[in-house]
Amino acid sequence: MTKRNDISVPQGYFQNLEQRLSRIPQQEVRPSTFQKVSPWLAYAASLAILATVGGFVFRKAAAPVQEDYSWDYISYLSRSVDPDGVVELEENADLTDEDIVNFLLADNSISVELLAEANYEEDN
Amino acid sequence: MDSLEQTFNTIVKDYSERLFWHVRRMVNSHEDADDLLQDIFLKIWTALPSFRGEAQLYTWVWRIATNETLNHLRKERVRAALRMQSVDTEMERRIEADPYFNGTAAQRELAKALVRLPEKQRQVFVMRWWDELSYEEISAITGTSVGALKASYHIAQEKVKLNLSELDVSK
Repeated sequence: MTKRNDISVPQGYFQNLEQRLSRIPQQEVRPSTFQKVSPWLAYAASLAILATVGGFVFRKAAAPVQEDYSWDYISYLSRSVDPDGVVELEENADLTDEDIVNFLLADNSISVELLAEANYEEDN
Repeated sequence: MDSLEQTFNTIVKDYSERLFWHVRRMVNSHEDADDLLQDIFLKIWTALPSFRGEAQLYTWVWRIATNETLNHLRKERVRAALRMQSVDTEMERRIEADPYFNGTAAQRELAKALVRLPEKQRQVFVMRWWDELSYEEISAITGTSVGALKASYHIAQEKVKLNLSELDVSK
């Protein structure tokens, strides 16, 4: 392929460009006080965020793990089954645990093994 | 007029046209090239007091121009991605609709083939093929070794040839 200039510019473009570029020193805008201090403000804000998040993470990591052995059927079930079904169960105060187990097994939404595990946890 | 301003005006006189062509080939739009050149020279003016002369003025000026151009292209890529568009397609559309393009169909296809190259490869190709800089000069500007530049140019050339041969316009 031959190399030939395939792009044109408007007439007198380069002369005009040179004039415009030469005016840059006169047009130079001095930074405002805010522009001068903004990098420092950003730096301070980053440090503040880092300190807050870091402190939170450190407190979480340093705190002893407290296991919650209390078992709540509703919160357990809400992780395993359809949430609407759980709300319905919660609203019906007359239901026994047995009723709930039967309902879940009939609904096929939870395995027997999982229920057994839940019962074991509750007993302990 | 102080000496800094005199130096700046010399840079404008010596480099504006050459840098325009480099930027123009990289961004494929007269208006974008014009805007970008303003930004480049503003940067040159702002950085001029800190120019210590460790590098040649020529290398220093070109380095600012090429870095600004690559930054501009990266921003364009991000903007296009946010609009769920491809910057390559947009560039090809620009080449098709460019009112200042007066080359042959083959030259238009060459411009489009260049768009499909990764930005750095395109930059090396434009600097070598269109700007006619030596590998040593490109190396000083980009900070890439001559060997790596030769490899990059060769790969770019092969890709362009392949693109053009598919269109049967490589001759």
